[in-house]
Amino acid sequence: MTAPTSAHLVARGLTKDFGTTRALHQIDFEARPGRFVCLLGPSGCGKTTLLRLIAGIAEPTAGEIALNGRRIDAVPPERRNFGMVFQTYALFPHMSVRRNVGFGLDMRRIERAEARRRVDAALALVGLGHLAERLPRQLSGGQQQRVALARAIVIEPDLLLFDEPLSNLDARLRDDLREDLRALQRKLGITSVYVTHDQAEAMAMADEIVVMRNGRIVERGAPADLYRHPATRFTADFLGLTNVLRLPVRGGTAPLPWGGTRPVPGAPDGEAAVAIRPEDLPLAAADDGPATIETAVFLGAAIHYTFRCAGASYRAIAPGGLRAVLAPGTKVRPEAPAALHRLADDAPAPAAPAPEAADVL
Amino acid sequence: MTDLRHAAETAPSMPTAPARGAPRSHHARSQRLIAGTLYGYFALTLVAPLVVIVLWAFYDPAVGWFPPRILPASLSTSAWREVMADRNILPSAILSLVVASVVTTLTATLAFPTAWAMARFSFRARRAVEVFVLAPMIVPGIVVAVSLGEIFFVTGLAGTVAGVVLVQVVGTLPLMIRILAATLEGIPEELVLAARTLGAPYRTAVIRIALPLAWPGFAAGGLLSFIGSFEEFEKSFMVGAPAVQPLAVRLWSYLGGDILVLPTAAVVTLILLVPMIVVFILTERITREDVMAAGLGKL
Amino acid sequence: MFSETRPPFWLLALLLFPGVGYLLATFGLPLVRVVWGSFRSAGSLRSGTVSTFTLDNWARVLGDPVFLDGLMFSLWLGIAPTVASLIVALPLAALLQANETGQRAARTLYRLPLVVPGIIAGFMILVIFDRGGMASRLATPLGLSLPRLVRDDWGLGAIMASMWKTIPFMTLIISGAMAAISTDILAAARTLGASRATVLWRIQIPLAQPGITAAVLLSFIGSLGSFVIPSLLGPAYPLPLSVHMFEEGFQRGNWNLVYAMGTMLSVMSIAVLFAYYALIGSFTRRATRGRGD
Repeated sequence: MTAPTSAHLVARGLTKDFGTTRALHQIDFEARPGRFVCLLGPSGCGKTTLLRLIAGIAEPTAGEIALNGRRIDAVPPERRNFGMVFQTYALFPHMSVRRNVGFGLDMRRIERAEARRRVDAALALVGLGHLAERLPRQLSGGQQQRVALARAIVIEPDLLLFDEPLSNLDARLRDDLREDLRALQRKLGITSVYVTHDQAEAMAMADEIVVMRNGRIVERGAPADLYRHPATRFTADFLGLTNVLRLPVRGGTAPLPWGGTRPVPGAPDGEAAVAIRPEDLPLAAADDGPATIETAVFLGAAIHYTFRCAGASYRAIAPGGLRAVLAPGTKVRPEAPAALHRLADDAPAPAAPAPEAADVL
Repeated sequence: MTDLRHAAETAPSMPTAPARGAPRSHHARSQRLIAGTLYGYFALTLVAPLVVIVLWAFYDPAVGWFPPRILPASLSTSAWREVMADRNILPSAILSLVVASVVTTLTATLAFPTAWAMARFSFRARRAVEVFVLAPMIVPGIVVAVSLGEIFFVTGLAGTVAGVVLVQVVGTLPLMIRILAATLEGIPEELVLAARTLGAPYRTAVIRIALPLAWPGFAAGGLLSFIGSFEEFEKSFMVGAPAVQPLAVRLWSYLGGDILVLPTAAVVTLILLVPMIVVFILTERITREDVMAAGLGKL
Repeated sequence: MFSETRPPFWLLALLLFPGVGYLLATFGLPLVRVVWGSFRSAGSLRSGTVSTFTLDNWARVLGDPVFLDGLMFSLWLGIAPTVASLIVALPLAALLQANETGQRAARTLYRLPLVVPGIIAGFMILVIFDRGGMASRLATPLGLSLPRLVRDDWGLGAIMASMWKTIPFMTLIISGAMAAISTDILAAARTLGASRATVLWRIQIPLAQPGITAAVLLSFIGSLGSFVIPSLLGPAYPLPLSVHMFEEGFQRGNWNLVYAMGTMLSVMSIAVLFAYYALIGSFTRRATRGRGD
């Protein structure tokens, strides 16, 4: 397969109303050539709606979409040349795998021998060449999704759109397919937009994560950046476990509940919300420790603790394996990172119960 | 540090919008086309005939309405008065409603046990029963009506309301069985089992759990039976005429070719429009497309 | 789906009895009588003649040009409105799939003809398309002259009246079948480059197939045996078998002949059913053939 030219997608001011409900508010979105962008958020945040607007199967109430500088609003979905992979696979049940994959080429009137070559190549890329004559119902979920992928890439699309494609698969299969999918995208270099509610998936696959909530974009950035330096509490909560502490800042430093102070870069004097990841809180058993272990759960590769200190509970995650588990009641001394990360926006996730200092996902 | 604000300042500028007046998206264009087609279809097949019928209902016998006049020269309510005075129309309409109700009830009662057996059990003769139940839908109704009419004549059921009801049920029963069987098949086995583990005998479980859940099937099948009975002609004519005349049969006598009775038929049509509108609003509310497709959609 | 248990025989018989028993008595028995009676001559208690086995009825039905023409005409009046209605119903059902507000109203409106008795449909066509009807009155000032559409040799008026009722009926069934197709599949087809028309032809029609078949068959059988519309709007000759059946039965009392005609119609229905299944098999194969082969 020839490498397609990478497409640059830009959307501006996209708004979508369903009757009186506004699903998307003035979204500005960009997917740069060759990049793998994840739209991440809880259900109802509008990520699937946004994807459908890009695909052209839903119409925006307002806003514009352009591909490589040209407006595509007036272009019907069948002419946008985007490959789309669905959560339900959406394979045509009355067609064999070969005919499914060849359907897009059929629509483009590709000559028969050439089409056959391309279908075989696409099936080989996803490792299903031997199943070409089967019907979808004779395939497992993972196989069906690979066929759907082959079908989307064989047309050499400008853009690949994924609507939670791995949600219907079981965990082990999901991990395998996730890796294959990302490797394939890297190899082909097709700009991709991937919708998911699974933060681990987004972290593992994305070049850039766009976090959405209630029809708006909350933040965007590279996975590691978003994880380590989330601007909002929502993002911090969504991308893994976190502790949110409210600390008084004086002259750029704040005192920790268990003793000691740490700098808080960029924080003015006054109260600041600070996020500390549980894995950044190593616990050392100490008879004079200010904190006490509340619960300890051995999860194999990690040990999840909660500990109490100065009347509040916090989470900590320690490596597991052969290491001993600290029993509840043990006194410990927590160790905080060298600098504390300040959250610019303290608003908690909407449906969350009134949080204490330690938060749960 | 990630930037909270949207990338508005850094995004490349948008190319200019399409020309004013052109639909701003393919969706708007195709929506207009679809709406236009649908409304055109309805205008042609529903509105236009309705207008013509309304005009005929106000036909003035003193002046007449002959070609090439497109609109009548004068209107009169004489046809309405005639219809109101006609002693036969109202009884016929009421008879049709009564017969339709009885037919629907009888059909539902007869259909449910059979549909239950077909949906919930596997037995060797199941396919044979399926085909046999399908058969009255395949064989033209007139064939059966002819023979049944003769049997009824001999047994004294000809020309009676009971006879008309019995012959109409032959037409409505297969469909009701199929729709109910399809609906019942969709009720998970676990629900009846759960009821039984909680102490309900089989019969109670069926009546209190499965029956209410089969409501969409009853609604769809019942409505189709009611409508089918109301507008049925051939069987009712064969068995009922001339003593028992449901509305469809009564209307037949008005349309035996005499053009002057057109106004009467027009008036009756308009009067019938009220129950028709009621019925088809009900069909929209109560029936579900998947239920009807399940019963009608496979042979 | 359904229970694996084999029910006790008495329970099964009890459950099946109301429905199956009723149909045996009111359909099975009369049907047997019809077929049987077609091979018998008319006995009469009055004149003392006994009913005997005879092929005369069949000789007449199959040999008499009046009845042969009637049979052909019956088939025509069954097939023509069915085919024409299918051509309208398929795109109509597809158009009604979307859930935009305009289409929701349309979904109710199109069903209106279903509750209208066939006789009124016939009346409508009469009023509009008969000589001197509204259509010709509208056409004359435009300088057009309409062909004869009521009581014409091809039964066009009867076909139109039949279509008026058949289109909503078919649309109802086909729409239900199409609604069962996942919207993701339709969206996938469109993103792969299929226009709405291609989606209808290559995806919706093949996947709605059992429903389309059922719609076609039920419509055909309904139109085949229809009496009131052809007698109101059809030509004086040929008359469809259904009308012959009425006349021979009620006016001349030749019930055995009527039975032969009835059997003939039934055989026709079943034959068309088989022919249709054969046709559908090859159609589905062609529609799914792609260039990837």
